[in-house]
Amino acid sequence: MKKIMHILFLSCLKATELIEKKLHFKLSAKEKLQLRVHKMMCDACTDYEEQNIIIEKALAKQEDKEVKLDEKDINLPDLKKSILDKLSK
Amino acid sequence: MINDSLEKWVNQFTDDLLSWAIYKVSDTQLAQDLVQDTFLAASEKYTSFQGKSSPKTWLFSILNYKIIDHYRAKMRQPISMQSLSISTFFNSDGDWLLNKRPTSWDEDEGHLLDNENFNKILKSCIDALPEKWAAGIKLKYLINKKGEEICQELGITPTNFWQIMHRAKLQLRDCIEKNWKREI
Repeated sequence: MKKIMHILFLSCLKATELIEKKLHFKLSAKEKLQLRVHKMMCDACTDYEEQNIIIEKALAKQEDKEVKLDEKDINLPDLKKSILDKLSK
Repeated sequence: MINDSLEKWVNQFTDDLLSWAIYKVSDTQLAQDLVQDTFLAASEKYTSFQGKSSPKTWLFSILNYKIIDHYRAKMRQPISMQSLSISTFFNSDGDWLLNKRPTSWDEDEGHLLDNENFNKILKSCIDALPEKWAAGIKLKYLINKKGEEICQELGITPTNFWQIMHRAKLQLRDCIEKNWKREI
């Protein structure tokens, strides 16, 4: 019975794969339907999708930030000098 | 021979380029190498720079290529998919293992996205991923393109791409959940 359910409405493994695929590519009509039905029956995968979207947004947001150099241990004058040396070769 | 413009740009733009590179690769030594490579490449390509864009824009585009190349090489590393095994999360029927089953985070999305601790946890969880998975995630936002175009740039198949992302996200979500629940 469970095997048949999985074939029709996906296992959680397959469902989470489609949840990821959906973020990058268009799902087929069959995949969309399978995923929708699976989520109706499965709270864990419903939570997974919500959290996956939050993570995706947080990742996109993270990339906009920049690092403050004065908090890092970097010798900028030395770096510039070394670059200039290499360039004049 | 070094030309005057390049010398000026080294003094003018190294700080900005470096701060960008450090954020993108999370490694100050590597970031310094990439900035140096950027200027070396700029010096070779100088004749092709015709002032169509600002020097700063031009240098940043070279640096971004260098960063993308770095991650592309990481992604090609032949780590087997098994290094992050599906069986860590699912049983042989494909059901969630009990201790890995996602549970609600009890927070709304807007709240989490602005939460400093949440973002800190996210960053450390990305750094804890196997390099290949982390590279996939970084590249997606560096190249800033959707699905098929990214696959073309990386020279991997769509299936390969979302499977890497799927495994990365399973691990990332689990890591965030563990650390976030400890926080609250």
